Amino acid sequence: MSGHPSSGFGARRWFLILMTLACAGGLIGRAVDLQVNRHEFLKGEGNARHLRVATIPVRRGMLLDRNGEPLAATAPVQSVWINPQELDERGETPGWTAIEKMLSLSKGTIHDIALERGDRQFVYLRRHVEPSLAQEIDALGVLGVHLQREDRRYYPMGEAAAHVVGFTDIDNRGQEGIELAFDKVLSGESGKKRVIRDRLGRNVEDVESIHPAWPGRDLTLSIDRRIQAVAHRSLLEAVRRHDAKAGSAVVLNVHSGEVLAVVNQPSYNPNKRGDRSNHKLRNRAITDLFEPGSTVKPFTVAAALASGSVQPDTEVNTSPGFMRVGGYVIRDIRDFGVLDVTGIIRKSSNVGAAKLGLSLAPRDLWRGLDRMGLATSTGSGFPGEAYGTLPDFSTWGEARQVTLSYGYGLSVTLLQLARAYAIFGNGGLLPDLRFLKTQGVPPAPRVMDAAIADAICRMLEEVVQPGGTAVLAQVEGYRIGGKTGTIRKLEDGGYVDSHVALFAGLAPMSAPLLSVAVVIDEPSDGIYYGGRVAAPVFSEIVAESLRFLKIPPDVPDPASPKSPSGTMAGIEAAFDPLVVGSGYPNNENASR
Amino acid sequence: MIETISTAVGCSPSKRNPQGVAFARSAAAPDPAIPASASIPLEIGNGFKPRSEAFWRHHDPLLWGVVATLTALGLVMVASASTAIAQDHYGDPLALFWRQSIHVLVGLAVMILVACLPLAKISRVSPLLLVVSMILLALVLIPGIGHEVKGSARWIRFGTFGIQPSEFAKVGVLLYFASYLSRRTLEVRSSYFGLFKAFIVILLVCPLLLAEPDYGATAVLVATAFGMLFLAGVPMMRFVIATGFLIAAMGMLALLAPYRVQRIMSFTDPFADPFGSGFQLVQALIAIGRGGFFGVGLGESVQKLFYLPEAHSDFLFSMMAEELGLVSMVVVVVLYTLFMLRSLAIGYRAQRSGLVFGAYAAWGIGLLIGIQAGINIGVNMGLLPTKGLTLPLMSYGGSSFLACAAGVGILARVERERRMLCMRGAS
Repeated sequence: MSGHPSSGFGARRWFLILMTLACAGGLIGRAVDLQVNRHEFLKGEGNARHLRVATIPVRRGMLLDRNGEPLAATAPVQSVWINPQELDERGETPGWTAIEKMLSLSKGTIHDIALERGDRQFVYLRRHVEPSLAQEIDALGVLGVHLQREDRRYYPMGEAAAHVVGFTDIDNRGQEGIELAFDKVLSGESGKKRVIRDRLGRNVEDVESIHPAWPGRDLTLSIDRRIQAVAHRSLLEAVRRHDAKAGSAVVLNVHSGEVLAVVNQPSYNPNKRGDRSNHKLRNRAITDLFEPGSTVKPFTVAAALASGSVQPDTEVNTSPGFMRVGGYVIRDIRDFGVLDVTGIIRKSSNVGAAKLGLSLAPRDLWRGLDRMGLATSTGSGFPGEAYGTLPDFSTWGEARQVTLSYGYGLSVTLLQLARAYAIFGNGGLLPDLRFLKTQGVPPAPRVMDAAIADAICRMLEEVVQPGGTAVLAQVEGYRIGGKTGTIRKLEDGGYVDSHVALFAGLAPMSAPLLSVAVVIDEPSDGIYYGGRVAAPVFSEIVAESLRFLKIPPDVPDPASPKSPSGTMAGIEAAFDPLVVGSGYPNNENASR
Repeated sequence: MIETISTAVGCSPSKRNPQGVAFARSAAAPDPAIPASASIPLEIGNGFKPRSEAFWRHHDPLLWGVVATLTALGLVMVASASTAIAQDHYGDPLALFWRQSIHVLVGLAVMILVACLPLAKISRVSPLLLVVSMILLALVLIPGIGHEVKGSARWIRFGTFGIQPSEFAKVGVLLYFASYLSRRTLEVRSSYFGLFKAFIVILLVCPLLLAEPDYGATAVLVATAFGMLFLAGVPMMRFVIATGFLIAAMGMLALLAPYRVQRIMSFTDPFADPFGSGFQLVQALIAIGRGGFFGVGLGESVQKLFYLPEAHSDFLFSMMAEELGLVSMVVVVVLYTLFMLRSLAIGYRAQRSGLVFGAYAAWGIGLLIGIQAGINIGVNMGLLPTKGLTLPLMSYGGSSFLACAAGVGILARVERERRMLCMRGAS
């Protein structure tokens, strides 16, 4: 080699050139291999790292009352969260203590989280912080502390509409009431899209939409905010005044079955998360059952009238004020002597009602209660609605038949009772109840002769006249009618000395529009008659409601003989302008 | 000039070496073997010579073309690759681009300056370069002066900017090595001791580099030194033995630290631990694989968005492969190959013209840049273990670019001196 250096050098030179070319060739070969042969695999690996499915958030729909006033609305708030893995373990104390102070957390909270949950990457520090406070925290720029935009639900009516509207949990899922019943519609469906994210998790590019976002729909409820507020106020006052355990009131539109107001006591503030013990949460008007007592008597009478054996003026002897049936003694509060059928209602005579009940075949009496929607679903679809019980007539003895005819031995909800009373005002048609605003009058089955319904209305009007049980139910300027109920409560298998005061009625009687039922549970100031405790609440609610609805007074003014007795169409138009020419077919006779 | 050559000839044992004699003769008279087109200037009829023509008479258009293309492409890719990280660190997506632009401008000045220095002077100061290099390499190891980044003490900082001594040391050491070889070619060729003496320099510098640690620079420097010895005509047998020693030394290192070997070998299957030891390489391979034939488009890289670490420096090649595809990869590999072959050719012509130091310097620089580029590209494509090596002339980094620019300046100087010799011979 050293002998022929030039030839050796030439060989070395060529060797190096070939080496260089071989290396270059090898690199290009590898490049081709990577970018052509392994292109799909590597692209897939890349996509697995870059592509993420991102959620397109949607806003929960609003809840509006029938006039478009908000009952539940959504507002943006911020939640503060921390990533413990980003926290410096040595502790950046000044920033942390500042945040702890701002969020009124105990000192050292962040430090503890950094220590104990160091393996996590996401820990909420405080959810639903006011945007201004959140901005201050953000301005501190403390490492590992982040903000997340969230929606928070606000309930402008607060506790007045708490039970009907319900509330959502902190993740905006419906938990109670309408919020729960229509959760799917309200929450909509968040969309999904495929995005490219950089390694810090920021969206760089939208690649494709997987499915679009369906925003939550706004729902217009049948509730009337003003009536709801009045009902809440009146009920609250009555419950306080009589030192009662609880109370409920329901206001319905007798034609459309729309629920205009549902209130309960005790109530809670849905805007506060702490204020939620079970006895406050219960929507008693819909979930609680009670024996309806005397409020059932009109239905007994209606069944008797329907059987044809009695007329409104048929006389029944209720002397001596009590009667013995199968080992039970039925009592009136005093001896009413001979009463006609209207008188039985007016005086609320148990003996009279029992005699009428006994005069019927068990099946007819049972049908007279069952078909009125007592102890069956109201069709409202409200979550947790109770059905109640009405024993089948085949199991009845004489005693059961008697007690049922004046309202014991069955259990109903206040909502069912208000609906059943709507039948009288609706010409014998039983409307399905609804919590959403309805255009026009949906078809309803006939469960009672229009003539009988009308006759019962006349009798209910007598109840509030002097000599009836509920003079206090009267509303100035309007004709109203209703029936009291005072029920001894059944506890541990026996009737005890606590009471339920009831009043259910209709207004205005010239062309009934509202069915209102009020129950006060265990008034404990010594007064417990329905006519004394529940009827005044009815009166207040009806007076205000009729005024809100601009219903003209229908009591003939003694000063002017021309009374503005509103026609039914006129009242309906005042209530809901769209009722004239509604799309619903008139099927008054369909169910006959 | 003549003096320099005679010195070189005098130092080389030319009397006992026919080739050396031939070189000495060619210095005095034009070599008929040199192609006329490469050396004889074109004469235009009326004697008017444009300025540019005068320039290209002394310079190699291919070399300048390759360097200019690589630098320009590098600058474009740095601009694209650094947007995300610059935005993140400096709030301006072009912050790193402007810095690199300054590096390139300063680099061009250094290139011109170096190209104006006579080779003889460079050869004379090369021992000084070696000493300065070693002092800098030693300084970087002193805590307080050396600045540690990702576990390696590679930086000496002066306020906002810093230098990486190892980048300059590579050039400085190989210039001294070239000067040493040019003076003692015969000694290195003829005796084991001569060969060993040549290695002493390398043996002195390598521990300093390994202490940082900078395995990439060590590997490049050792490989370059071997290449230069190979070209210096060290007998094959001795060369093989020396290579054997090198392999043995590497084996020793491996035995001393088996965990390191395991980590180094993770490049063979990066997907086995894609979030640990294989992380960088997996991201680099993904970037390359996403590119396809023509890439995803300039500026469209996703991997640069914090997935691929060092996208603007060590892994610029992967980033470019993602954005510009296979086409750009082939172009870049071809450009570096051309650069390497061109510097080999420049070295050979210089050797034939008797510019012995120039020849070794040209080979050294060609090998240095070529090998570093080859290793960097191999690392990017998962053929070699991950090292902290930049892509010469292209990657972001001031020290790296300045060192490369100085090297290119020397290459240009070698070619210029050779052409001047030829012209003088021709006229």
